[in-house]
Amino acid sequence: MGATAQPMIRAEGLVKEFTRPVRRTGPLAGVRSLLTRERVTTRAVDGVSFTVDRGELVGYLGPNGAGKSTTIKMLTGVLVPTAGTVEVDGRVPWRDRTRNARGIGVVFGQRTQLWHDLPLRDSFELVAKLYGLDQPDYQRALGRFTELLDLHEFLDTPVRGLSLGQRMRGDLTAAMLYGPPLLYLDEPTVGLDVVAKARIREFVAETNAVDGTTVVLTTHDLVDVERLCRRVLLIDHGQVLYDGDLAALRRRYVPYRDLVVTLAREDDGPLVAPPGTTVVERPRSARDTARVVVFRFDPAQTPTPAVVAAVTAEHEVVDLDVTDPDLEAVIAEIYSSGRVRA
Amino acid sequence: MTGPVATSTTGATTAAPAGHLAAQARALVAIGRQSVRSALAVRSEVLVSGVAVLVRVVLVILVWRAVYGSTPEVVGVDRSTAVAYAVLGAVFTNVLNPFWRSSLEMRVRQGRIAVDLLRPVGLVPQTLAQQVGTTAAAVPRCVLAVLLALVIGALQAPAGGVLGLLAFAVSTVLGVAVALLCNLVVAMTAFWTLEVGGALMVYRAVAQFASGALIPLWFMPGWLRGTLEWLPFQAQVFTPLSVYFGTVRGWDAVGAVAVQALWVVLLALLAQLVWSRALHRVVVQGG
Repeated sequence: MGATAQPMIRAEGLVKEFTRPVRRTGPLAGVRSLLTRERVTTRAVDGVSFTVDRGELVGYLGPNGAGKSTTIKMLTGVLVPTAGTVEVDGRVPWRDRTRNARGIGVVFGQRTQLWHDLPLRDSFELVAKLYGLDQPDYQRALGRFTELLDLHEFLDTPVRGLSLGQRMRGDLTAAMLYGPPLLYLDEPTVGLDVVAKARIREFVAETNAVDGTTVVLTTHDLVDVERLCRRVLLIDHGQVLYDGDLAALRRRYVPYRDLVVTLAREDDGPLVAPPGTTVVERPRSARDTARVVVFRFDPAQTPTPAVVAAVTAEHEVVDLDVTDPDLEAVIAEIYSSGRVRA
Repeated sequence: MTGPVATSTTGATTAAPAGHLAAQARALVAIGRQSVRSALAVRSEVLVSGVAVLVRVVLVILVWRAVYGSTPEVVGVDRSTAVAYAVLGAVFTNVLNPFWRSSLEMRVRQGRIAVDLLRPVGLVPQTLAQQVGTTAAAVPRCVLAVLLALVIGALQAPAGGVLGLLAFAVSTVLGVAVALLCNLVVAMTAFWTLEVGGALMVYRAVAQFASGALIPLWFMPGWLRGTLEWLPFQAQVFTPLSVYFGTVRGWDAVGAVAVQALWVVLLALLAQLVWSRALHRVVVQGG
């Protein structure tokens, strides 16, 4: 892969509008809907700009209907933007569709590129022919992915007989067989169990680290994001809310850490909060047999060991745990407020 | 994947135009073959469609024999020709105007068109390759139906011997091409309306009638026949069957085949034109 200064993806002021006829209600609704000339326009993507460098692994996040998939479809060349420019590896995807197709791999979690009625292997063979792979290259790539994703058991099973996790591994292989330098993953772990998810994540991480494949990942699973992405792009209502480091985003929202302590006795006397901490009493659940107290502190101001030492000096403690607030809460707040805190 | 796989991919993109065309052709052949295998993959489906065409052939034989009764000739068409025509018409329409909707329209409706658009092959050639594959998969059941008709004496060998058979074969291939292109153009309206089920059903009914698959154009009033001659439908079925029965022969047959070829060119251009307009209208269903 030539180390050029040119970014892998460059999107500037991307806009996509959809127009559809107005649906009528009431008597003869169907006929009136057909005859109406009135149309409504919705803006799915509204001025999105960003660049992705070669070898990056970027999480592209947003609530349902935020415009994620529409953006991905413009980047892959499936949709033509209403306005704005997009370049992938120096090409305009929709104008140079077939050439662009050779340089990208795409996995849509919600649909498959595999042939429903035929054995999985047949789909791979077709992909190899479509992308002009010769036999030795094909065999080598197939061997590697069979090993990495453990496809042995179901290579000769018709796709309709595969479990969702197996199908997903098949789709990933089909997308990567011809070694594209850029991989789009649109909700690749949706509906999978924990083991299957972990396997897919491992594969994506390896592809990115070992092959240097640039990855754009769309997902609602924040564990995917935490495990894989250093950088995230947050989008809602068709606009970019945040573009940057994941750790920085978390710090901006939750500049604190929690020390969760289980006290030995219920009546341990008055609670003493060490300097730099505040006490947050946790609502009691049925499982709590002892008193659980949460000391909240800013690790940048007060070092964690100091807080632990101060608390254990004052109270008899049977258990303690240090937790970072989860990303889920951060994202939930951004989605509901519709903006990112400055 | 910085190894040989990546190299061969970049090699393909920078290949000379001739190499590029060859690669495209190989890709299309692969799609066609995959479609054949896909169409033959479900045994019960193959069995049912085979039985369906045999039943239809037997039924049209019974009906046309009953229609003629003891009348030897109707408007210059004798009984055995009318029955044989009905047999071939049934076989042609089974392949050319299938009950299942066009693959393209189905894929647009299911949002699977996104996957097709991501292939390094144009959508129109890709769809045609799929349809050619599906059509090829229908050949065995057609051969079976024709053999059945021959055995029960409802069909005789084509007029004009080997040369006649050859002319019929050429005309059949062109007829199939015209039908596939017509189906494609109609299915592409899915990019505008998204729901073309109704339009396709109307189209199918018109095409079956106007192509002469149900009733030979010989039996139609002059004004109707004159009109139909200006439409691409008769090039699908009526032309090959006229060649088969020798009602057009010699230079007339050459002319009829030339008209078919002209339709193929015109419809291919139309399909490309419609696609270039559709490109900007692509809407992918679902998230």
